[in-house]
Amino acid sequence: MSMLSYLVRRVGFLAVTLLFVTLITFVVTNVLPGDVAVLILGPNASEASLQALRADLGLNQPLWVQYLDWLWALFQLDMGQSLRFGEPVWGLIMDKLPRSLLLAVAATAFAVVLSLPLGVIAAVKQNEPADVAASMFGFVGVSIPIFLWGLVFILVFAVWLNLFPTGGFVAPSQAENGWMTTIRHLVLPATSMGFALTAYVMRMTRSSMLEELGDEYVKLARAKGMSERVVVIRHAFRNAVIPVITVIAFQFAYAFGGIVVLEQVFFWPGMGKLTLTAIQSRDIPLLQGCIIVVAMMYMLSNLAADVLYAYFDPRIRYGGEN
Amino acid sequence: MATDAGTETKRADSSFRITTAQKERYARLWRQFRHNTKAMVGLAIVLTLVVVALFAPLIAPYSVSETNIDARSEAPSLQHPFGTDELGRDIFSRVVLGSRISLYVGFGSIVGALAVGTTVGVVSGYAGGMVDEVLMRVMDAAMAFPPILLALTVMVVLGPNLNNVILALAFVYTPYIARVGRSAALSERNEEYVESAVSRGESDGYIVFKEVLPNCMAPLLVQASINVAFAMLAEASLSFLGLGAQPPKPSWGLMINSGRGFMQTAPWMIIFPGLAIAFAVIGFNMLGDGLRDVLDPKVDTVES
Repeated sequence: MSMLSYLVRRVGFLAVTLLFVTLITFVVTNVLPGDVAVLILGPNASEASLQALRADLGLNQPLWVQYLDWLWALFQLDMGQSLRFGEPVWGLIMDKLPRSLLLAVAATAFAVVLSLPLGVIAAVKQNEPADVAASMFGFVGVSIPIFLWGLVFILVFAVWLNLFPTGGFVAPSQAENGWMTTIRHLVLPATSMGFALTAYVMRMTRSSMLEELGDEYVKLARAKGMSERVVVIRHAFRNAVIPVITVIAFQFAYAFGGIVVLEQVFFWPGMGKLTLTAIQSRDIPLLQGCIIVVAMMYMLSNLAADVLYAYFDPRIRYGGEN
Repeated sequence: MATDAGTETKRADSSFRITTAQKERYARLWRQFRHNTKAMVGLAIVLTLVVVALFAPLIAPYSVSETNIDARSEAPSLQHPFGTDELGRDIFSRVVLGSRISLYVGFGSIVGALAVGTTVGVVSGYAGGMVDEVLMRVMDAAMAFPPILLALTVMVVLGPNLNNVILALAFVYTPYIARVGRSAALSERNEEYVESAVSRGESDGYIVFKEVLPNCMAPLLVQASINVAFAMLAEASLSFLGLGAQPPKPSWGLMINSGRGFMQTAPWMIIFPGLAIAFAVIGFNMLGDGLRDVLDPKVDTVES
C-alpha cells in the first residue's frame, strides 16, 4: 500500500471516528440534568417566555433533529453561544486554544530534552547503576500525578525559593519584557507535565538504542577504531531516534489530554480551565465545544504519530490495521 | 446422548487437567517472576497496600472524621506522625483509610473494564469481519477522548461519588482492554486447538470463552495491572478536581485538594497523601512491567 492511500484510509477512519465523537458528546451532554431555557432566563422566567426560547433554540424538536442541526452548525464552525459568557463558543475556544497548545508543546519539548540523553545513557550503561537509576526515575515520573508534581513545584520553586510565579498566564504582548514573562509563567507547569512524559520517551530511546548498538554497522564502526562517542552519537543515535519520534507525538497527545488538571493547578487560562468552567456553570454549548476541540486535537496528534510510524516503518502499512 | 456424555468428559479433561508440560511452564514463569526485581518489588508494594487496606481500622490510631479544634494543622509529631489537617484530623489515619478508596476504585474499575473489554475484544478478534469492524470503530471513538476528559464528562452526568468514579473509569478503560484482548484473540484464532475445536463441532461461544480466552490471559493481565495504576491516578485527579470522592471521604486526591490552600503553612497536608499515591501507583506500574517481562508472548514462544 502506498503512503498516500494509507493516509487517505487513515483520514477516512478519522472522519468516521469524529462522527462517533460528536454523537457521544451530544448524547452525554444532553442527558445532563438542567433545562437550558431555565439556565438562560433564570428561575423566575415566565412559562411563556421559556416556551418561546425553547422554540427559538429548537429544543422542542426530536432529539435526532436537534443532533443533525447541531452537527450541521458544527460543520460550519458554529458551536452556538456560551450561556455563561454570552459570546460565541468558537471565539472563546480560539482565544484559549493557543495557550493550551503552548503549554503542551513546552511540556513535550522539556520531556524530550530530558529523556533523550537519559535514554542514551541508560542504553550505553545497560544494567549498570545509571540504567537502574534512570529507569527508577521514569517510574517515579509516571507514577506521581501531574497535579502533585505541580503543587510540589509551586511549593519549592515559587513559595520557598521565589524563583517563578505560582501560576497564571501573561501574554507576551501584555508584559513589559515580552516573552520573558510568559516563559517565567510557563516553566513550572511545563516541567511538571514534562516529568510525567519523560518515562515513555526515555524507555523508547533506551530500547531503540540497545537495538542499534547490537547491530552490525555499529560493530563495524567500533572495529574501525572510531571513538565510542562517535559510534554512539553519530551512528547509533541517528537511527535510534526514528521510532522515538512517533512516541513523542503520542506524548504530545497525552500532554494535551492532561491540561484539564494541569491548568487547574496553575490557574492557566486555557482550554482545560475553560472546560472546567463549562462543567461548573453547566454551560452545555461551551462544554460540547471544548470536548470536541480537545478530542480533535488529541485525535490529530495520535494520527500524526501513526502516520509518522507508517512512514518510517512500511511494514505497518502492509500489515493493515493489525 | 451417549456421545454427548463422551464429549463432556473430554472437555473436562482438556480444560482442568494440568499436564506435566503446563506444570513446568508455570514453574518456569514463577522462577522468572521471582528473579525479576521489578516484579517482586511491585508485588511487595501491592501486598503491603492490600494488607494496610484490610486492617486499616486496626492500624489507624484515630478515626478519620474525628476533629480536634485544639490540634489544627499541627506539624508531624509522635502523636500525629503525618501531622493534622485544618480540622485537627489525624492525617496518618486518613492516609491509611484512604488506601481502601484507592484500591476499591483501582480494582473495581478494572474488574468492570475487564468484564466488558475482554468480551468485546476477544469476540471481535475471533469473529473478524463486520462484527470486528463495528466494535472496533466504537472503541476507537471512545479512545479518541483523552481519558481524564472522558471520565470528567461521565462524572458530570452521573454525579460525583465513588461508585460513579468506578463506573466512569471502567467505561474509560474498556477500549484499552478490548484492544489488547482483540490482538491476542487474533493471533490465537489460527492456532491448531481452535481448528480442532471447530472440527469437533463446538459452538462459537464455547470456543471463544473456554478455548481462546484462557490463552489470551497473559497480555490482559499485564494491561490490567498497568490500568489499575492509571485508574488510581485518575481517581486522585478526579477527586482533586472535586468531581470524584466527596468530603469527608479520606480520598488521597481530595485530601490534597483541601490541603492546597494550606500549602505554605502546613505542607504535610499534601505531602503525605501525595507520597501514598506515588507509592501505590509505583507498585502497580512495577508489577505490570515485571509481569510484561515474564509473560511477554515474544519471549514465551522461544521455548514453547
